[in-house]
Amino acid sequence: MAMTIEAEDVAGARPVAVLTLAGELDASNYERLIEAAQAAYGRGARGLVLDMTGLTFMASSGLVALYSAVRIMRGDAPPDPESGWGALHELANEESTARNVRLAGVQPAVERVLERTGLRRLFEIDASSTEATAALQGA
Amino acid sequence: MTTPSTQTRSLRLIGGVDQMSVLRTFVREAAAEFGAGPAATDDLVQAVDEAACNIVIHGYGNREGEIEATAAVANGQIEIRLLDRGREFDPTAVPAPDLSVPPMARRPGGMGVHLMRLGTDAVHHRRRRGGGNELTLVRALDDTARED
Repeated sequence: MAMTIEAEDVAGARPVAVLTLAGELDASNYERLIEAAQAAYGRGARGLVLDMTGLTFMASSGLVALYSAVRIMRGDAPPDPESGWGALHELANEESTARNVRLAGVQPAVERVLERTGLRRLFEIDASSTEATAALQGA
Repeated sequence: MTTPSTQTRSLRLIGGVDQMSVLRTFVREAAAEFGAGPAATDDLVQAVDEAACNIVIHGYGNREGEIEATAAVANGQIEIRLLDRGREFDPTAVPAPDLSVPPMARRPGGMGVHLMRLGTDAVHHRRRRGGGNELTLVRALDDTARED
């Protein structure tokens, strides 16, 4: 099953982009999510909500996309797609929760991947993209 | 070959990571047919996807290659066998992640193998005669058989 990405920009003191993912995030399409995050940053977004309500599967390659999204929203360059996994080492000292990317509507199969890789605690997870957006905008 | 106690399904793939969704569908359908619980199915789908990605990336150098998948059930366990003709790669020899270091600092290539191990009860690897790998992933059908 392919993955679709729909982008919506939410204006505010802190512009937020909501990327609604549906389908399966895997090694064949994780770079599209990175590109969508880059495009959102280019439009001025400084906070990102990944609405995963319709995401039924995430491969370990999806973790690279999540990591890239955090970097992009910080204004840092995304990791080189060719180095992909190796780029994760750069977050060696990363202990705090990502402040600029929130996840919403995470399904059990996806949350299990986050839990099993120890990445669950790095992300705030909200029930809906509305709540996640409000949290990023400080409402 | 089918025996009264064993059901099998098979799939032949030629391609790269773009074919992983086809493989995942194959695993889901086999798991449903064999009576696997939802957690067992999710675990196996994840494990097979990670294993097959490793075959494509490490075995075939991220180029197109052939993977033959066979699913069988016996004695309350589902067994997925992946056959390839790529470079030898034994995921069972990859060290377990060091849980004492921050999650994001762990060997990321190891994360796929880590997920593969957590989603299965056993993984076996052997070299194929004539080159390539035979990887077998085993998972109990029963959801209650394991927990993280």
